[in-house]
Amino acid sequence: MKRDSTVYVVLFTFFVCAFFVALLAVANELTKDRVEANRRFAAQSAVLDALGIGYAARTDAETIYAERLSVSGEGSDRYYSTAIDGERHLAALVSGPGLWGTIEIMLAMDMDSSRLDGIQVLSQNETPGLGGRIDEQWFKRQFRGELIGPEGISITSGAEAAGTGDADPENSRLDGITGASRTSQAMEAIVNSGIAKLRKLPGGVQ
Amino acid sequence: MSGKYSTIIRDGLWSNNPILFQVLGICSTLAVTNSLRNTFIMTMGVTFSTAFASWNLSLMKDFIPRKVRMIMQVLVISFYVIIVDIILRAYLPEASKQLGPYVGLIITNCILMGRAEAFAAANKPVASFIDGLANGLGYTAILVGIAVVRELLGFGTLLGLRVAPANFVPMTIMIMPPSAFFLVALVAWWAKSLGIRKAAWKQPRQAPSAAR
Repeated sequence: MKRDSTVYVVLFTFFVCAFFVALLAVANELTKDRVEANRRFAAQSAVLDALGIGYAARTDAETIYAERLSVSGEGSDRYYSTAIDGERHLAALVSGPGLWGTIEIMLAMDMDSSRLDGIQVLSQNETPGLGGRIDEQWFKRQFRGELIGPEGISITSGAEAAGTGDADPENSRLDGITGASRTSQAMEAIVNSGIAKLRKLPGGVQ
Repeated sequence: MSGKYSTIIRDGLWSNNPILFQVLGICSTLAVTNSLRNTFIMTMGVTFSTAFASWNLSLMKDFIPRKVRMIMQVLVISFYVIIVDIILRAYLPEASKQLGPYVGLIITNCILMGRAEAFAAANKPVASFIDGLANGLGYTAILVGIAVVRELLGFGTLLGLRVAPANFVPMTIMIMPPSAFFLVALVAWWAKSLGIRKAAWKQPRQAPSAAR
């Protein structure tokens, strides 16, 4: 058969494609469980980290998650609840527009004492090195235990340069990121809308 | 090692370096080089895919109909890139999340198809494999160098570890894509002028003998 005849081209292309696709299917099948476990761990650890519940190893995270958290609601209304020292804590996914794209965070708060437990940034497309710093520890750490004021919390821009954050959990005020005022404002809006969302949930104490 | 292979290796690593002299794969240089760790993972992916895709295409070259030659090249390249993507997702989920779509975009990295078309289409499988490997490593060397400069000046860190003193002010421009433009241009300029100077040194030595 000639190498440039239509029949040869069609058959050759078909069999080569089938061969490589079959190999990829095998590779996908072999790693499927691992990829799924990674995905599950990422989702569960985000909730645990936001609530400030510690876990020693990856395998612990799954047990602790199953024991301590109850999941209610479906889709975007899904929320996670747990009791820590007799107080009711809720966590939910909140998203809103950032400077370049949607910012998605896991927000957790103590419903009884009206304090934030913490946040975890799940996805963001902010400028690396500027707005992208919302994913850094010093920024996220400020939210832990922060008292929620009558107006929610405020994130002030330009106040910090050293990257240390606001240390006082009683002032309902956090340091924004220098050079990323718009991202800081966006985070403030997202967190406050998240607080409102959590308070509206069944059992969310005003 | 025969002289043929060492020439291939020298070409890929230096005298025909994909970034400096072929000017291929520039897009990924701009995208990922602001963090050393991601750069390293990405360039390893490129090196692996280039080497194996070149080897595989060289094996197939006598059977590929001319009409669908490029489609076959893209198919084989995508196969290896998707394998890299699957491995990252299963074993390095954090890196996979950070690199996001850039792993898949290795398929469109010009180096892969460039080597498939320029070398693997006319050479034996082992030589093609070495050519792909050498080009991938040449690409790695330049990108890692650029990433060291960018991460150091842009974040004050290396591999995420803080190395700059506490009063260091990060240069935000180094994290943005334009800085990669400047750095690639500077490195290419340096490499080219080195070549010109070498040629200029040879000239006077040959000139008298020619005059005699």
